[in-house]
Amino acid sequence: MLTQLKIEKITSDLLKPIRLTKSFLIWMGFLGASLLVCLFAYFLQLRDGMVVTGLGDYVSWGMYISNFVFFVATSLIGMLISAVLSLSGQKWATPLARIAEIIALAFAAVAGLVIIMDMGRPERLLNVFIHGRIQSPIVWDVTVVTIYVLVSTLFLYIPLIPDLKICSEKLEKLPPFARNLYKFLSLNWNNTIEQKKLIKDSTRVLAIFIIPIALAIHTVTSWLFANTSRAGWDSTIFGPYFVSGAFVSGCAAVIIAMYFFQKNYKLQDYITDFHFNKIGQLLALVSLVYLYFNLNEYMVPGYKMKLAEAKHLKELFSGSHALLFWSTQLLGLIIPIILLLFKKMRKSGPLLIIAAFVLIGSWFKRYIIVFPTMEHPFLPIQNVPLNFKIYTPTLVEILVTIAPMILVLIIITILSKIIPIIPIHETIEQLEELEENKK
Amino acid sequence: MSDKQEKPNKNSRREFLQNIGMAGLGSILGGSAIWAGINYDNKKTKNDRIRVLTAQNELVEVERSQVKTIAKSTQETFTYLQQRGRDGIAGKRWVMVIDLSKCRNARKCMEACQSAHHLRPEQHHINVLKMQETENTPAFYMPKPCQHCDNPPCTAVCPVDATFKRQDGIVLIDNERCIGCRFCIAACPYSARVFNWAEPLYSELDKDTVYDVEKNVPQRKGTISKCLFSADRVREGKLPYCVSACPNGVYYFGDENEDAVTNGTTKETVRFKKLLADNGGYTLMPELGTHPRVYYLPPKGKVYPFQDKDREEAAEHLG
Amino acid sequence: MLKNKLNTRLFVTFSLATLLILNCFSATWDVPADQKEKKSYIKFDKQTSSQGEVLYNANCASCHGNPGKNNILKSLNPIPPDLSGKSSQALSDGDLQYILNTGRGLMPNFKNVISAEDQWKVISYLRGFNPNYVQELSKFDPNKSKLVKLTAKFDSKANILTVMALADEKSGKIPIIKAEIAVFVKRYFGNMQIEKTVLTDNFGKAQVVFPKDLPGNKTGDLEVLVKLFDENYGEVQTTNKLAIGVPTDKPALNEKRAIWNVLAKAPIWTLSLYLLGVFAFILLLLYLLNNLRKLYNSKTI
Repeated sequence: MLTQLKIEKITSDLLKPIRLTKSFLIWMGFLGASLLVCLFAYFLQLRDGMVVTGLGDYVSWGMYISNFVFFVATSLIGMLISAVLSLSGQKWATPLARIAEIIALAFAAVAGLVIIMDMGRPERLLNVFIHGRIQSPIVWDVTVVTIYVLVSTLFLYIPLIPDLKICSEKLEKLPPFARNLYKFLSLNWNNTIEQKKLIKDSTRVLAIFIIPIALAIHTVTSWLFANTSRAGWDSTIFGPYFVSGAFVSGCAAVIIAMYFFQKNYKLQDYITDFHFNKIGQLLALVSLVYLYFNLNEYMVPGYKMKLAEAKHLKELFSGSHALLFWSTQLLGLIIPIILLLFKKMRKSGPLLIIAAFVLIGSWFKRYIIVFPTMEHPFLPIQNVPLNFKIYTPTLVEILVTIAPMILVLIIITILSKIIPIIPIHETIEQLEELEENKK
Repeated sequence: MSDKQEKPNKNSRREFLQNIGMAGLGSILGGSAIWAGINYDNKKTKNDRIRVLTAQNELVEVERSQVKTIAKSTQETFTYLQQRGRDGIAGKRWVMVIDLSKCRNARKCMEACQSAHHLRPEQHHINVLKMQETENTPAFYMPKPCQHCDNPPCTAVCPVDATFKRQDGIVLIDNERCIGCRFCIAACPYSARVFNWAEPLYSELDKDTVYDVEKNVPQRKGTISKCLFSADRVREGKLPYCVSACPNGVYYFGDENEDAVTNGTTKETVRFKKLLADNGGYTLMPELGTHPRVYYLPPKGKVYPFQDKDREEAAEHLG
Repeated sequence: MLKNKLNTRLFVTFSLATLLILNCFSATWDVPADQKEKKSYIKFDKQTSSQGEVLYNANCASCHGNPGKNNILKSLNPIPPDLSGKSSQALSDGDLQYILNTGRGLMPNFKNVISAEDQWKVISYLRGFNPNYVQELSKFDPNKSKLVKLTAKFDSKANILTVMALADEKSGKIPIIKAEIAVFVKRYFGNMQIEKTVLTDNFGKAQVVFPKDLPGNKTGDLEVLVKLFDENYGEVQTTNKLAIGVPTDKPALNEKRAIWNVLAKAPIWTLSLYLLGVFAFILLLLYLLNNLRKLYNSKTI
């Protein structure tokens, strides 16, 4: 009896955020207006060519590509939390699985757009399919990112099926078409043993398969750089280096999302300090792994000081990029790791601030992986204007870079308004298990 | 063009052919298009004859009135130029030798190249660099075109086969296919590629020009451009633009299969391997395994000293 | 102290000597006597002068500037002379032609770039700046070159090309003696000279040793060009197709199943890995869709 009451409370609590509120509309209005401004910047780029950016013949990849890497990186967290943790029996992550999956889907889907924004001739995108050469890492990237988006969609959808049924039955004041849509998407879910088994099997298979796919998307993305001979990119550990860095930024993104969902959707009973503590530990762990790869990445070439590498490292450590480099490494990685070792810091408030630093640091980390290398090619940069030698992003470029971030926020906000952000069915299942164990 | 084509009147043929001629010899196509003159009239003046390049790559002179054109539309001309450009010239392996001891930074090569390929002043298919490799080694001028590597990192990464290696060794770029991802710029260790960041300088002028992949003209906004070893000139048996523009005899160009290279200034043809052997020829950054088709002769015994005003810029790149 | 002084003195002497040598070097050209006396068989007039001007502007002006305009490229060392100046005009026509043909230091030679006839036209243009110049014409008769019979035979054992130069004079066939014979092989961008220029002997015979490793076409054919130059008979040349080269048929540079080429030539490992990955994904997708279908169909408990 008590259990039944609890189940009803859970259901109503978790379904509560699914309705239109004033704050939601204001927030969406703000996002929409900002997006329009950014899209205007992109229009300028389409009209006048990429000359509106700070890019040149030498630094020809800049903010856009670092943004792309950041987006792909952040999307990897879906795999870590929903697949790796659930396969390894980490029950605490269950309520976070959907948040992670939404972030993964949103970032992965938008990553595709980010790369289009970097293209000189976006209208020729179809050439990749018509004339595609499978020897090119870009084609691998297009393939695996597409696959990852599809698999992530399924990974979000399949465990969602029971919740959709709950939505169609329990949501009040729902327009008929929405109710029918929920019903249709719930695929005749009736909570039978057979159905439960089907969902469980599918989720498990997905969880297993999404691991290599997710590893592939970021490894292939790292190969865009590592497959060239440039100093700073010509590295054999770029794959794992990028993947470990991806978990750092993804974890930070999930923490930030958790915080806001907990506060705005009043989910204090479901996302608790326990969860913040746990994910704080996870962030500390992945950051340590990332620090280890950083050490490898800079120490090994730094020990040898081959000509081109030496020039690159000098610029990073003590040259013109030193400020950016050290603030990224210290504020975005090393200090957060130290802080996260203390339990006090793994509470929601401090953790939010740490995660914000880590996330911003993650973005700048990609930025300093991409452009300083391009400023130091093997042969001297001569007979070109100064802005070809020193990369300075323009306002238009920054706005175009912000556009996909806004888009991601819009997608996450909308998804969180149409589906329960905490899996209802699984929370109930866990509760029932708990009750049974008590008996 | 096509409305003129429809006129059945024989008298208009000459006028039509002249129009075609203006659009470029390339639009008059194919060996099969040429009727070997049966009644070759010697009395006719030079203007009544026309030089045509056949599909077999022979330059022949025929009477204008004997030429029947099979290229009817811009599209067909374009397709023909594309096919020809992608095929390359059979049996050839072009090589360039650059004699650094002769370069005096006159930059006629850069000028000729930029004007031929309709480039902006900051766009260099060939760039004369002020080089200094270590502190005590001498500074020198080094013209640097695309190295036309036999293992080109740029074509390997291209997702759409827009940049490709031909059978004669030239690495071309097809800016009608290029998507502008700039992966090839990132991959090229020689910084040999440029991008059309803005609307090209002559895009208004080139509006009606049919795109020739061997010349990469007209340039297109948002696509890559690069040194082409002047594939269009080489097809006609002429030396590349930069090679023939040099006043100092820096460049040699030729066919490795023939073991001969011709100096662009003195037009002297010498044996390729002997030239390298006698002068200590080398390639740029051989350790990268790119196998360049551009060879350098060291700046030994320079006839023109390195200028003091350029020293600072050359030293900038020192470690 | 003494040593120091000696050193200084030595240094000064040495510098002076060097300067002297350099000075001489830049001032005079070591022109062979017979070259010096060479004269043009073309009459210098307004037409030759204006034709020469075009050639001058294309080939010489970038360094020597326009005569009398003082726009010489002064950054060169030695500074190229103004060719309308006194020292240049003091040179004989033969001297000027020799300089054009040999070049020195920064000045390239123009022997393959400007033909002998055109070289005279350039000189004609330059002489226009010298009011005191009076042309002496050579006695050469260009029609005599039609009498020359030039034959070439190849001895494959000794690898020697034997050239016979005879003139069909009224008095009968006479050998052309001490004529310059140059043998060339046709290459794509120009003719490549084999060995050095040789002189015909008393029988009008000259021999050139051919290299054994010269690449020919697929069947080893070479187009051999023999050029004769003689004071009396002028310039004559013949072309022979000889199967004396190394047969050359190298594969195209994009023939291999290489990474740089189109999809059809993708490396097998890339192709199979890629297809395997996509195939695995399609299987996964089919499995999941089937599960969803089952889910949809299983209504009852």
